[in-house]
Amino acid sequence: MSRPSTPTGAVPHAANPRLARFDPLERVLYFDDFDGGTRGWTAHIGNYEGSLDTLLTPYADLRPAQLSNLTMWDVGSMGAMDGTYALKLATRPVPGHMAILIKRQTWREMADVRFEAYLAYKPEPAELVLGELDVRAFGVGFDLQDDETRWMPQYRFLNAEGGRPAAGDVTDQARRATPRGKWQQRDATSAFHTIGGTGRTVSHWHLADEGWHDVPGGQQVMCYNEIPTKVNWFYLRVDLDLRRRRVTRLQCNDLVMGAEPLEFIAFAAMPNLRGMLNAFLWVQTDTAKRAFLYVDSVVLSTGGAA
Amino acid sequence: MRQSHTAVVARNETWSGDVATEPYEVAWAGEAMMFLRVLEPPDGPPGARLRVQVSPDGMRWCDEGSTLELPVDPDVPTFVRLRRFGGWLRLAGHLPDGVRAKVIAYLVLKE
Repeated sequence: MSRPSTPTGAVPHAANPRLARFDPLERVLYFDDFDGGTRGWTAHIGNYEGSLDTLLTPYADLRPAQLSNLTMWDVGSMGAMDGTYALKLATRPVPGHMAILIKRQTWREMADVRFEAYLAYKPEPAELVLGELDVRAFGVGFDLQDDETRWMPQYRFLNAEGGRPAAGDVTDQARRATPRGKWQQRDATSAFHTIGGTGRTVSHWHLADEGWHDVPGGQQVMCYNEIPTKVNWFYLRVDLDLRRRRVTRLQCNDLVMGAEPLEFIAFAAMPNLRGMLNAFLWVQTDTAKRAFLYVDSVVLSTGGAA
Repeated sequence: MRQSHTAVVARNETWSGDVATEPYEVAWAGEAMMFLRVLEPPDGPPGARLRVQVSPDGMRWCDEGSTLELPVDPDVPTFVRLRRFGGWLRLAGHLPDGVRAKVIAYLVLKE
């Protein structure tokens, strides 16, 4: 595990203390603090033609964006890390169900891109138990296209699956045993399907449960805390190089990955998508409880263009 | 300028029997409209009604008092206006035997 970087040299955000918890590149393309609304983060949906019935099944019921003040049944409102409201993703209480929010942008130039966010994940406190294995996974992904290639870096923190921690032991207070999760990546999407009858619409499900590979050095102990209503925020960062089509860094708090090349999905450029710079976040439940992902703030910055 | 947001709380769902939309957080909003639209003419007799519900915690629900009729015409949604609803809203109810509808439901929120 390498050490996280610290900002050096000129700090362009010094005049804005609310940016000081981030390490942005020269140009901040967006700085979303959800005290001001959903800021372009919207429900993901697949492609359809003629009828919503043509959506691929995994896309049919992805849930809408919410703004949450993190009200807990036992202690009341916690508020966000900064301010009152956080963006909230919530699944249905159905094992394997997923919520995905996406922000759609285009790149101004081929450059370095840095995504940073402060997040928290929790299960719905529907039972008065620890619940640390209720959330299956959360993740971050990008949908990018240049002149030749559409590429989709996608990384998930697999917390638990089938009631077992993704790595390591189950919680055991007597032995001080803590469950570990692990970061995963994928290099292929599912099959493309033709949607409708015109031949102009296709769709593919890029977050299927199958096809994930462990990121080397990607095991991590998260600060889940000790009951479902205690929520701790953490930092997430992904660095992209659009010119070389590389993902140079994946970071969650003090765990930095990317010493070995990070995988991504890639296929031939598709119609109508040149310049796409979409970012998306998701959460998935492992049990019959809703899984929540709270997003305090997001910064997407660019720099390094020739 | 006042913040506003439209959430699609149910999309292309086929409703029959007991139904409820997923919990939706609305603490920031001062007023709301809930719209219900059928995507196809529903099966069964008209007149079925859904109840607006509120919650202190997003898990336990009580009737707010307002109701909303299941529409019959895909081009004419029904709606209800709401104020002073606290932190969560949802639509719930029981459709009588034989009533079956493919719906899309919207929450239109404003500060």
